[in-house]
Amino acid sequence: MVRASIGLLKDAGNGVSKTLSEILVCPLSKLPLRYCEETNSLISEAIGVSFPIKDGIPCLVPKDGKIIEADDMPKTDDAADSSSKHD
Amino acid sequence: MASLQLCLPSTCRFRQRPVHCAADQRQGLFNRIAPVYDNLNDLLSLGQHRVWKRMAVSWSGAKMGDCVLDLCCGSGDLAFLLSEKVGSNGKVTGLDFSKEQLSIASHRQNFVPKACCNNIEWIEGDALDLPFSDGYFDAITVGYGLRNVVDKHRAMQEMYRVLKPGSRVSVLDFNKSTQPFTASIQEWMIDNVVVPMATGYGLAKEYEYLKSSIREFLTGKELEKLALQVGFSNATHYEIGGGLMGNLVAKR
Repeated sequence: MVRASIGLLKDAGNGVSKTLSEILVCPLSKLPLRYCEETNSLISEAIGVSFPIKDGIPCLVPKDGKIIEADDMPKTDDAADSSSKHD
Repeated sequence: MASLQLCLPSTCRFRQRPVHCAADQRQGLFNRIAPVYDNLNDLLSLGQHRVWKRMAVSWSGAKMGDCVLDLCCGSGDLAFLLSEKVGSNGKVTGLDFSKEQLSIASHRQNFVPKACCNNIEWIEGDALDLPFSDGYFDAITVGYGLRNVVDKHRAMQEMYRVLKPGSRVSVLDFNKSTQPFTASIQEWMIDNVVVPMATGYGLAKEYEYLKSSIREFLTGKELEKLALQVGFSNATHYEIGGGLMGNLVAKR
């Protein structure tokens, strides 16, 4: 996936600011998050969960995370790599 | 997509169902009181809560350029005070589990004339599973939040984890007094001032919760002990507001 310009997305009401992108980790695994522009969410690759962003506020309450099924993964280079790893 | 509620990692699986219910109920409560929360705080404390919050911020040791966390930030009172303290080179993160409270905080930010309040970011999150790396923050404040958390031990552990060594957490809340007279005054005020006033806003039940939450809270000594238990190097609980309020200051 082409890494989106996080600062510009914040202005559009989507994405997270550069500040937050530096601070935030997955609340469960404590590992880095990846911003997904397609779903406007933060992805925890380590545990395969996505967290939504609403009105510019990341929602990182563990119970609000959604488990990402393999089919739901955005079709990107990164997703293709992880698919081939699962085969 | 499956909801994470159905399948939590092992660290979460051991939480009992009643704990989830209590947390959901409190989340609902804070969402419901959000529209009148700030006004009622002013009325019920005759504006004194502003003084106590300034004291809490001072005790946190937050200074220019710091990265600080306001946990259970609610509508943002402490976050806005921290914003002034850390300045435009600093960063304030406000975290709360109530969408409605965060929405109010975010709107307040848009109407504050001071440019430095642009240094605040809001996050919806859980005090028991903080979305921050170890040793990140220079200071943490919690204002009237720890008492409402269902697992205070875990919340303190998480605060300890995300604090830089040598940094402080400042926890302001009602004081669960060991003095029977003070405890009686507190309960009398809740029954005869707080709840009647809240009733006027249709929120009697929500504010009746205050009495039981103080009864179930920890005393100053117990809070100090808890902080030391989770690893803080020292912890002191200060009674303020005539003993009705208390502020725990713990250093990592």
